[in-house]
Amino acid sequence: MEKLDFAADKDRAKDFLTNFTDDDGEPKYLNLLQDVANRKIRAVQIELDDLCSYKGLEEGFWERVIGNTKRYVGVFAEVVDELMPEPTEAVAADEDRDILMTQRVDETSDSADPNADPRQKMPSEIKRFFEVYIKAVTKNTPMTIRQVKAANIGQLVKIAGIVTRCSDVKPLVQVAVYTCEDCGFEIYQEVTARVFMPLVECPSSRCRVNKVKGNLILQQRASKFLKFQEAKLQELAEHVPKGHIPRALTVHFRGELTRKVTPGDVVELSGIFLPIPYTGFRAMRAGLVADTYLEAMSVTHYKKKYSEYELKGDEQEQIERLAEDGDIYNKLSKSLAPEIFGHDDVKKALLLLLVGAPHRKLSDGMKIRGDLHICLMGDPGVAKSQLLKHIINVAPRGVYTTGKGSSGVGLTAAVQRDPITNEMVLEGGALVLSDMGICAIDEFDKMEESDRTAIHEVMEQQTVSIAKAGITTSLNARTAVLAAANPAWGRYDLRRTPAENINLPPALLSRFDLLWLILDRANMDKDLEMARHIVYVHKTLESPSLGFTPLEPTVLRAYISAARRVTPCIPRDLEEYIATAYSSIRQDEARSNAPNSYTTIRTLLSILRISFALARLRFAETVAQSDVDEALRLMQMSKYSLYSDDRQRAGLDAISDIYSVLRDEAARTNRLDVRYAHALNLISRKGYSEAQLKECLEEYASLNVWQIHPNTFDIRFIDP
Amino acid sequence: MGGPQYDLLMNPLGAVRQTFEKAVASSQPSDVDPTAVYRGKDWGIVDLLNQYLFDQGGLAQVPILDASSQKWMQPNTLVRFRGMVQDMLGNEFYIGAFKDGGTWRTNKFMDFSPFSAPPVSQTTLWERHLFLCIPVPGQNSWAIESTPYPLKRSISNEMTCHHGEKRRRDDDPNRICVISIFFYFFFNMQKDFGSASRHRIAEINDGSSFPTSSFSCLVKVYDMPESQLKLNEVVEFIGIYTFEPELIASNNKEDVDDDMMMFDFMDDVTTHLPPSKVPRIHCLVSRKLSTSDLILNSPAIEPLPNIMRGIRDSLVSYLSCTLGNDVLAAQCLLLHLLSKLRTKSDVASVGRLSLNLTGFTQETASIFGSQLHNVIKTLVPYSHTIPLTIEYLNTATLQPKKDNQTGRLVMGVLQLAIGTHLTFDETFMQSGTLNSKGVDNVLLLKHLMEHQTVEYDFQFYKLEMAAEVQCLIISEAKSNILPADLVVPVCPSAVTPVTASEEQLHAWRWYLATVRSLPHLTDTSICEMLQNEMVDAMRKDRSLGCADLSRWLTMAQLMASSFGEKILSVEHWQMVKEIERLRKESCLLMPFVFDVAVVFDPELREEISSTVKNCFHRSARLLVVSILENLDSVSDTAELDGNVCCSVLKI
Repeated sequence: MEKLDFAADKDRAKDFLTNFTDDDGEPKYLNLLQDVANRKIRAVQIELDDLCSYKGLEEGFWERVIGNTKRYVGVFAEVVDELMPEPTEAVAADEDRDILMTQRVDETSDSADPNADPRQKMPSEIKRFFEVYIKAVTKNTPMTIRQVKAANIGQLVKIAGIVTRCSDVKPLVQVAVYTCEDCGFEIYQEVTARVFMPLVECPSSRCRVNKVKGNLILQQRASKFLKFQEAKLQELAEHVPKGHIPRALTVHFRGELTRKVTPGDVVELSGIFLPIPYTGFRAMRAGLVADTYLEAMSVTHYKKKYSEYELKGDEQEQIERLAEDGDIYNKLSKSLAPEIFGHDDVKKALLLLLVGAPHRKLSDGMKIRGDLHICLMGDPGVAKSQLLKHIINVAPRGVYTTGKGSSGVGLTAAVQRDPITNEMVLEGGALVLSDMGICAIDEFDKMEESDRTAIHEVMEQQTVSIAKAGITTSLNARTAVLAAANPAWGRYDLRRTPAENINLPPALLSRFDLLWLILDRANMDKDLEMARHIVYVHKTLESPSLGFTPLEPTVLRAYISAARRVTPCIPRDLEEYIATAYSSIRQDEARSNAPNSYTTIRTLLSILRISFALARLRFAETVAQSDVDEALRLMQMSKYSLYSDDRQRAGLDAISDIYSVLRDEAARTNRLDVRYAHALNLISRKGYSEAQLKECLEEYASLNVWQIHPNTFDIRFIDP
Repeated sequence: MGGPQYDLLMNPLGAVRQTFEKAVASSQPSDVDPTAVYRGKDWGIVDLLNQYLFDQGGLAQVPILDASSQKWMQPNTLVRFRGMVQDMLGNEFYIGAFKDGGTWRTNKFMDFSPFSAPPVSQTTLWERHLFLCIPVPGQNSWAIESTPYPLKRSISNEMTCHHGEKRRRDDDPNRICVISIFFYFFFNMQKDFGSASRHRIAEINDGSSFPTSSFSCLVKVYDMPESQLKLNEVVEFIGIYTFEPELIASNNKEDVDDDMMMFDFMDDVTTHLPPSKVPRIHCLVSRKLSTSDLILNSPAIEPLPNIMRGIRDSLVSYLSCTLGNDVLAAQCLLLHLLSKLRTKSDVASVGRLSLNLTGFTQETASIFGSQLHNVIKTLVPYSHTIPLTIEYLNTATLQPKKDNQTGRLVMGVLQLAIGTHLTFDETFMQSGTLNSKGVDNVLLLKHLMEHQTVEYDFQFYKLEMAAEVQCLIISEAKSNILPADLVVPVCPSAVTPVTASEEQLHAWRWYLATVRSLPHLTDTSICEMLQNEMVDAMRKDRSLGCADLSRWLTMAQLMASSFGEKILSVEHWQMVKEIERLRKESCLLMPFVFDVAVVFDPELREEISSTVKNCFHRSARLLVVSILENLDSVSDTAELDGNVCCSVLKI
């Protein structure tokens, strides 16, 4: 075996601690040590990230640190001892300890006897006012408990898991100090194992010379104790292979790391995987079995907010690759609930809901929400609930609930009496719990009346106000609402108007940015598709391939969280465009004799929000015209899903509608030609397809209304 | 290597040591650390044992360990045990190899080292996996009896076993997964240690409650790929039984307690599974058991169609006898018994066919229900009956739950071996209030029916475990608590006591096991036809959903394989359609009779309903309905004369 040179490594550690500078050029660890000297902090956390990036070290050093961490914690502690600066500020004195220390220092200088018993020498631990921890490299993905093998013993490992049990914090002797009744010397005993045998006889030279068996008394005040806590860590549900049971691991926390976790916490730990030395009866069995534990070195709690989502490993790279791919919008939306067939536009809308727009806070204190609200309405059995549940799974913070609510708290919040203390306490409902996330409300139409009034406030002001039982307060509920509702009579009744079918008040409806109607219409193609699917599944025992590989939910989550960090703005030249688009929608509505929609200023905000979300998906700093066009198209499509029947009843067929759109555009711009790309934009906003546009172009060209450029398909009206 | 120098049966540890030393000695160059070479690897002992067990017919010589044979079992001998993996206790690190003077020695497959503890520097830690195993819950007595009793080691028995094993091995060499295993046996803390005898197990199986872990064992598995053994699998372990009296002697409580004071969390499993009651076994070879493995003396015949047809016909008539000569219900029951979960795609689970037999009342259920239980018990290896009452739902622990204090998985009723048959008897159900536990239990059962998974409670999260069980529900009307795939009303017409000879039973068991393992194939040509028929059916009936169509296909495929066919043909599809038509008809009848009865005044209604209930025969019932229909249309509502009606009913 290769001989390890700890002395050399100690010099390397010293060099690292003195010379390492962080990004700002500050000597990170020297500053840290100064704080320790000033008794502001106790923990000296040495990050392996720094050790890795530090240039002046030889390659193998940090690998040695990972492989034999316990030893190197000691090495670093010795170095810290040597480097410890003088306190620069007046230190809040720990009296007992300081008095003891001064006495000890005096004594040791008195009897500077080189031959003194080693147990009379003061161990360095007792002088230390700090604890050294080595934190694992943050970039690596943590291991599961299952992956920790015998080969990892003694190594620094990083593990993710959920805490299931915690013990009380207890004192653990680190250095036991005795005084001798005869000679008065202090005797030190370092404790490294969990069990130690107290000394009985004084080993000091004086007692030995005098041939007396000095009686030793354990000095509890003089001894050094550490806080100590044990916990059980269990594997996370997603790490357990099918048909297996989650594994558990014992974790020891010492000193500053105690009281960091409580049962139920999902944490990432780095620590040293160690076997337990046995004593007594257990030693007999040690012939065979060794228990192991993890000595914690750092604790990180998992965050569930987008803003605190940390990209792991190659995720950044993956996102960049995806962002370069032009078709990201379609790709991401298809990966949402891939097992649900069709509903492309609905999925696109749901993707935008996940991304959302930035919140705006105006200088006068007014807030404009950035969260998109979407309502899915439709016949029973069209996979609404499945869509909802899937979205909740993708979102890092999401609450799924039904309109009826599951507890007395309901959707918003309630004041309840605590059964034990009899105090009134405020309990948040689903909407409050999903603050900064997504709240999916199924059976939206069956909501309690009290919740229905409160939800108006949530959806626009994004707060929940409470004035009950002497508690007057306002809770934040910055949540995107995704609602699913059944039509008024259970099934969509085609003989009645959409308004009658929808059965939600306009005040509530106008708060939804998008409203989709998903109907289960008898359809030969769809039936055949279903039959084919079932036969295929039975035949091959697997689902038919989707024609593409859907992105993993983790990738989706990472991409969305990255997109949410972008705050795009609208360029000046686009403002005009949006304004005209909005006013034309208003005018269309005014012109039609049966206005089915309520185009208000909220609609304009919705257009902006959707455009922002689209820009975020591209990681763009500014909103492009294509974003606005897509936003208008989505809004039109959502309306189309509601009122397509009306249109047919009105006798206005698609072709002539497209013609009138193009005619109006030509009249508006006062020119005779319309470019094809522009025309396509215009009609897609109205919810028509390219095929319909082509049909229209050909039909009217044959009537000599316009000419079509043979290559570019640009339109030129023939002057009447 | 020549023949084994050691008696593998009586001294397997000797062979372990010998082969290890031999392997170390032969490894060249000698300066290479042999522990690194043999960490997580076998050094020849498993091969040696396989050769002995399967090639030389040693398997039949190996005694089976159970509650009764445990008393006379010699330590350090080879035994075998069949059980279900009930809990997984993670892995354990042990000193696998150490240097004793100049020679390397091993502790593998051992609990206690005969050598004194070596200095740390000369040892290496190896790891092994721990599993907690119990006898399969709900195992029927015939399935237990079919395992050859160790004392009856007659030559003929040995021969048949020998051939049986050989044949199986030739069939599918992969099935015998060879891993080194080592396990402890122990009796759970239950006091009825001595009485936990063979016939107690049988007795418990007769009753409706499970033998709740009266006997369990801790298995330690070596060198195993991570996902080899899964929860709830039925496995046979063959290994070394050891018993270390020293450990037990020193296991006086104070000693342990003293030592344990600081080790709150170091409670490794053995402290909860006290070694003082633990006779141990070191196991070397394990194999997963399928149903066909339990039928030992199975006729070595090819599943030929004509033989299968014969057995099928006799089984159907047997089943219809049990159900009071209702052939339709018997056909459906057969399909149900043959069903097996093939796959679970994202939405639908393929191959599953849960059955709801309706039309039972308290009285008829007591006759036919219990008859049905007995029949199922004689046909399937693992079965269990749950009487569904409000009280049961409110009190029973159905969900397996992790106890984080002890680190053990506490068994729930729904922790069942793969392929268990589960019968729910809903006829006892009365109206009442469910408490929160009851609601949880109902949701759990519903989830089991719909998705074939059971959520295990791990306190901070729930984990879904696949539970491949066949569910049969007996109820008065269609059960809404437990939504079955197939609802069939039973119309018994006669009560006939069912009897079957042992040979017949054996043939049926073999038939069920064989058919269940048949592959399902679908011809591309028939697919087109099926699709079109489905689309047609959907156009006629808008209420048909994905689930119905999927069920039809499942039934058709099961029908095909019930005739021993692997490929679905049009003929079978037509048969299923016919069954479906008949079923629909009788489904419609049932509520109709009672609906009409409701219209009349209370006196009359009682008379009618009792008459209808007595009409066992379906055709008679049909008659009643048609007459009632006519009467209803002729005379306006209450104009009916009671005498006329009753006389009509008596026709």
